[in-house]
Amino acid sequence: MKEFKRSNAVLILLSLCAVLLLGVWFFYLKNPQNESKSDQFVQDKLAMERLLENSSEIHRIWNEGEDSREWNLYKSDCLKFQKINSKFDDSLMRCNPMLLECNAHFNKKLNYHFVKPETKNQKQYRYLTKSNTAHVGLKNSGYLFTIEDNQTHLRLNLLLNDSCQEVYLPSRAYAYGEEVSGAEDYRFDNFNQNIYIDRHLVTNQEINEWIDFGNPEFTKGILKKEADETFLPAINLTEEQMENYCSFKGKQLLLAHYFDAATFLPMDLEDVLPKKNTRSPYYWTKKKSEFKADCNLIYAKECFATKSYQLNSTSPTWAGVMDSMGGVLEAFRNPIDPESNLKASSFYFNFKSPWHKLGFRAGWDGEGFELRHFNFKGINPENVTVDKFQVGFRCMRESK
Amino acid sequence: MKLIITLFMILGLSSCLFLGKEIGAKTEDEMKIYNEWLYAYKLQDLKTNGEMITRPPGISQLLFRLTIPTEGGLSLKTHCVYYQVPYKKIPGLIKIEELKTDATCPDVGSGESWLEIKNVKDLTVSLSNFKITFDFKIQDQKKSWKFLLPNIEDGLVHEKYQPVKEKKLYPGMTFLRINEDSFENQNNKYLGKLSDRFSRGSSIRCLQVDKNCQNIGEDRCNECRYGWYQVVDYQCPQGGSKFCGQNHCGEKNEPACPRGIKVVEGEDTGICQNDLTAVMNADHILVCQ
Repeated sequence: MKEFKRSNAVLILLSLCAVLLLGVWFFYLKNPQNESKSDQFVQDKLAMERLLENSSEIHRIWNEGEDSREWNLYKSDCLKFQKINSKFDDSLMRCNPMLLECNAHFNKKLNYHFVKPETKNQKQYRYLTKSNTAHVGLKNSGYLFTIEDNQTHLRLNLLLNDSCQEVYLPSRAYAYGEEVSGAEDYRFDNFNQNIYIDRHLVTNQEINEWIDFGNPEFTKGILKKEADETFLPAINLTEEQMENYCSFKGKQLLLAHYFDAATFLPMDLEDVLPKKNTRSPYYWTKKKSEFKADCNLIYAKECFATKSYQLNSTSPTWAGVMDSMGGVLEAFRNPIDPESNLKASSFYFNFKSPWHKLGFRAGWDGEGFELRHFNFKGINPENVTVDKFQVGFRCMRESK
Repeated sequence: MKLIITLFMILGLSSCLFLGKEIGAKTEDEMKIYNEWLYAYKLQDLKTNGEMITRPPGISQLLFRLTIPTEGGLSLKTHCVYYQVPYKKIPGLIKIEELKTDATCPDVGSGESWLEIKNVKDLTVSLSNFKITFDFKIQDQKKSWKFLLPNIEDGLVHEKYQPVKEKKLYPGMTFLRINEDSFENQNNKYLGKLSDRFSRGSSIRCLQVDKNCQNIGEDRCNECRYGWYQVVDYQCPQGGSKFCGQNHCGEKNEPACPRGIKVVEGEDTGICQNDLTAVMNADHILVCQ
């Protein structure tokens, strides 16, 4: 009887325990705070993985530019959206925020979106330089995009450098200016410098970024140019404004002798320290006599009749620099002869003009665009009534 | 007596409820690390790569340190990562300490923990393709944590016809810790003003090279707000001293532009406007006068 009572008591006790345990288990399992907290971290981890995968895709599109399948898919919609009807060189899509904006706008399969920054303009990004951000460790300037995961609203900030439109000037011996028979060459080298030159002239699109994100004190009076003018070179900045724009990007206005270095075709690419720098006046040939009246090589006055002017209208030089002859005028800073600071080879002159030679420069006072501000050394444009000459420019920088 | 037995049973069985949950190393910890290290700029003092850490037993050792921007990217902080190898009753421990500045870490972790992962065994730490991996055991469960370090840069590549290429996970892309404070002008610590000129004595020298071609002090040229330029001083193969700001080389009282190190010698190594002469100043810099 005693045994029966004891076993009954144990059974009751065990039943009570079981009920209690079930209760405790139910409490832990169903407590929303506990579960949601750990679940939240798992969700965040998955969101972070998605964001990183998307970052990698954005990086790919950024670098592939015109070669990306996204440009192929959305090009026409994108141009309509940006109100661009005129032709331009598609290679300008490389490292260009327009492609990313259009992809985000037209690609319905994306599981992220860009967060529009709190700026006065309609852009989905900011242009970041060391002059407009306090974020430490910035190496080069670039475009800041904030991507947000559609499911979790987790965000990542990506800075995409726009340095892919620069070319490296190989280390070797060069010579400044035209080759004059009998005269001693002004030689120099860059064996202890890593020099990068803009592949193309600065565009209106790039100046628009300066207006939107630069110090307004320095951009006062400069007007934004959009739609069909977006990818044309910026042609109405004074020399000081050109210098300030390049400074905004952490660069310098291109020095005339480095333009010569990047354009005169070396006679022997393997010989980096030749005894003499023999130079042809044309970037496409080593022969001084091999001039060609070809609009794909020099966009001269006659070329308006065959095709409209656009950036990168001519072939690249040996170093990869575009528009080295013809097109708009191009200003430099010339530390040797400051009054020869203008590439006069341009569409203001026909193919027969003596201006179409590398290293032969006119002068510009850097302040205005009427004829009186220029010194064409007596070889003025013929039969042209130009109110304002168009002067482009490009920047350069040294790298470690 | 019966009450005590009952209580023990309840406690014993309740503890089983936690078996299904994560022990020691939680996703929460993993994410806490991930969210910080993603922005790391520098990885230094990494002492191990792929081998299991078994020595010295029972003593804390520094595995590596990371330099990370703070929120808003306004300054830098340091994460010191330590590991105490388990020995007899001393448990294995991964400990991360946070220093408020970009500083070196003490050899032994003795400060306050930013994060601790206890009861760790058989730890290996390896770095490959800008990803740091922690493989370890915790209460005999295997764990593998992988942290991307996409902002770590391992130098630059200069190739003809090409733009500069950073050796990093995504060359040309950086993850930033931007917030509203990042755009406040008063927080900007980058060096120089647009009006700074060498001729006025207002330019900031960001790198000084001595006659033995050694750098004196820190290279701060990456901190120049408006870029930097090189001057001609000791004809060093890695270049001369450098100044922040807009380059006006060749102009009156400005430094001569570099003319190279192989085609010319002496005072001809600087470029000045054709009506000026390059003269060595007291700092051994060629100046156009």
